Amino acid sequence: MGEHTYEILLAAAVASPLVSFWLLVFFGPRLGKPKAGWVGVLLGMGVPLIMGTIVMIGWWFFEDEASRAALTEHAFRWKWANLGAVAVDIGVKLDSLTVAMFFMVTFIAFWIFVFSVGYMKGHSDEVSGQCKYWRFFAYLSLFGFAMLGLVLSSNLLFLFIFWELVGLCSYLLIGFYFDKAFASKAAMKAFITNRVGDFGFLIGLMLVYFHLGTLDLDQAATRFAEQYASGTGIFASGFTMFGWSLATIMGVGLFCGAMGKSAQFPLHVWLPDAMAGPTPVSALIHAATMVAAGVYLVARVYRLMTPDALMFISTIGCLTLTLMALIAMVQVDIKKCLAYSTLSQLGYMIFGMGCGAWVAALFHLVTHAFFKAMLFLGSGQVIEGCHHEQDMRKMGGLRHKMPFTCWTFFVGVLAISGAGIPAMHIGLGGYFSKDEILAVAYTRSYVWGEGDFSKHEAHEGEHHSSTSTVHDVPVQLAAYQEHGEPEHADHGGAHESVDAHSSAPLALIFEHTKPLPKWMFWLAIITAYITPFYMMRCWWLTFMGKPRDEHVHEHAHETPMMFIPLVVLAIGTVFASYYLFRPLMADAAGAATAAPMVMAIDGDVHTPAITSAHSWLVYGVGFAFVAGFALAYLIYRDGLAVGDRIKQRLWPLHTLLVNKYYIDELYELVWVKGCVLLAKTAGFFDKWVVDLIFNLAAAITERLASFSGMIVDKHGVDGVVNGIAQTSMDVAGVASSAQTGRIRNYVLVTAAVAAVVLICLVWFGTNSGYSGARSFSALSP
Amino acid sequence: MTIGVTHFLVVGAVMFCCGLYTMSTKRNAIGILIGVELVLNSSALNLVAFDRYMGAGRLDGQIMALFIIVLAAAEAALAVGICINVYRNLATVDVDKATQLRG
Repeated sequence: MGEHTYEILLAAAVASPLVSFWLLVFFGPRLGKPKAGWVGVLLGMGVPLIMGTIVMIGWWFFEDEASRAALTEHAFRWKWANLGAVAVDIGVKLDSLTVAMFFMVTFIAFWIFVFSVGYMKGHSDEVSGQCKYWRFFAYLSLFGFAMLGLVLSSNLLFLFIFWELVGLCSYLLIGFYFDKAFASKAAMKAFITNRVGDFGFLIGLMLVYFHLGTLDLDQAATRFAEQYASGTGIFASGFTMFGWSLATIMGVGLFCGAMGKSAQFPLHVWLPDAMAGPTPVSALIHAATMVAAGVYLVARVYRLMTPDALMFISTIGCLTLTLMALIAMVQVDIKKCLAYSTLSQLGYMIFGMGCGAWVAALFHLVTHAFFKAMLFLGSGQVIEGCHHEQDMRKMGGLRHKMPFTCWTFFVGVLAISGAGIPAMHIGLGGYFSKDEILAVAYTRSYVWGEGDFSKHEAHEGEHHSSTSTVHDVPVQLAAYQEHGEPEHADHGGAHESVDAHSSAPLALIFEHTKPLPKWMFWLAIITAYITPFYMMRCWWLTFMGKPRDEHVHEHAHETPMMFIPLVVLAIGTVFASYYLFRPLMADAAGAATAAPMVMAIDGDVHTPAITSAHSWLVYGVGFAFVAGFALAYLIYRDGLAVGDRIKQRLWPLHTLLVNKYYIDELYELVWVKGCVLLAKTAGFFDKWVVDLIFNLAAAITERLASFSGMIVDKHGVDGVVNGIAQTSMDVAGVASSAQTGRIRNYVLVTAAVAAVVLICLVWFGTNSGYSGARSFSALSP
Repeated sequence: MTIGVTHFLVVGAVMFCCGLYTMSTKRNAIGILIGVELVLNSSALNLVAFDRYMGAGRLDGQIMALFIIVLAAAEAALAVGICINVYRNLATVDVDKATQLRG
């Protein structure tokens, strides 16, 4: 293939849903009901699926390990902007993980799009009597664009941008029936809860920006390793918080974003409410793809993690997987039950990431995406068939009416429960992926603490060249435990090496990384027993037994448009997961987990070479599904009676679980009421302090204004002007009073003045020798 | 007793005073006009008297007197016209009633 062929194909696949989005936005209403949907299916996901498949086949079957590494290293980068001294690249992160995620997302999304064409026919006209059919597909296309862009980003900044975009799509689609109060509230709840996580993400992003001086994933990892080796940069900072170093805070901050999107324990509250959206949205966004983005993010920033950060991650994951599985046991709404099961499985993935089960967590992500998408679509089919009835207590006996849905759903139940034949390579999704996570957790909690690893490593070093850092640590360690000396298992091709190019010795990693607390491991094991119970309960109540509601049962039906995707996904669940996706993940692991401080651990549990290491675990967990199924069957085989009796016996526990540990109420009390209280306090402050100051200032200004207006202007300036006018008037009045209008007066005044003038003339003439006077005297005889 | 300039001047002064008195006491416009005529004529008499006794062959005073006579005639014509207009407007020739221009 030519240069950047893969990148071009992938970029085209990302652009296609965007084109579809704009097409639907502008021409959606004109296209009408089925056509708009088909535009979404073909352009929105069909093209990406074709591209994804081509890339997948090319990448996996026509490239060898070396050429894949070269392609990863020379993947497309284009300098987009400079943020200060930091260059931001538009680029493609091209490795096996990207390819696997890309194929998984496009494949699942395509079939969910197809399902939506059928499902939304009856579900899209409910919004204020307007047809919103096209809008649904526009949103889905936009989501496709954002999700694929997220997977493809080589840069944390672009990852964040697409991250927010998928969050927006999630918001729009949860609130698709926005005229219903619960839907719009759920949308807001999801958006706001995600903001809390994204705040942490931003803090992590800023720390990466400031201390590592780059936002590129690979560059950041390289610099992190360099700084760790030299003790500079982020490791030179003495800043601590909650006993965490700055490097840990960076990792935890980035993980906070994942906590929001992947709905981990304190921020999990939005996901069950998100079921207010249409069922295909629940399947696509809130089960298969978007919620898994958090796990993907942790996988991508794995090289920036510290042991403390990973411990925090595993703690959160462990709490989530346990608490949510317990809630799932008492749910009666079919979608809510699946939602809590999703939360629990996401907890497994995050827990796995925290343990170091990088491959297993991502593998579980993919297998989970397949079967959970299928389960949700199945529930959508049920809800559609039963006229929007979601209460499992009213269902039952639907297997005759919906055979396809029933048995594909059962495949999903088997897969999520981890059904398989222990110690053999036969099983469904969770059998490989979940058990692998548990195997790694076992290694971390039991094997890790006991052996002296630095010695072990040194011992190992004698036999190997010093360049061979440990591959497949737990397997070796486990083997060491069992047989007393290190032994090299046949690794079967898929292994992580700890750190390809960092010089940090393995002993250092062991020294810093504490063993996993044992309670975490045991909680995960217990939950592995709970999972098959609640899934079987869900399936049995819905499809088996006798119909409990005649009305619902009578109307139940299924439509081909909707069960075909179910069948396809079921086949995908059965075949694709182990043989395709796990090798891809394992292939990506080498470079993607080359972290200086933490290590990824391979725990492939059911391959023959490793079985002996975890023998009790293999069977203990391997048969969990049987125990769970049996318990669910015993309780629910005759309807709800036994379940109700247990419920009454254990009412305090049941009440606690039904109310979801009162976490929503607690948040309502602390955050919502707290916000209101804060607002009220601020309002009080505003009213009594700020307003007081402002009113005082206003009063002073008013006084000043009235002083300058009344005193200065009115009496000063106006006074002068009016004074002049008044004076003129007064003078004129006085002067005009002489004008009496009586001629006699004029005559008298004239005469008097003339007389005075005459007298003056005579007087002065006499005294100053006026010639006229002399003439007079000359006249006198 | 020879008749000198003084006698003429006394007569002129008496006439002037009479005219002035008439002007300042009469309320009838025509009466005031008569007073004005008396004042004018007294001044004309003075001019003629001065010319006769002090002119030494010159006729300045006589000519001035003629001017005054013409002037008086014109003035009378004008004043009577005013009087008629006053009467038309106010229906009286009492000057005390015609006070519209007082200040």
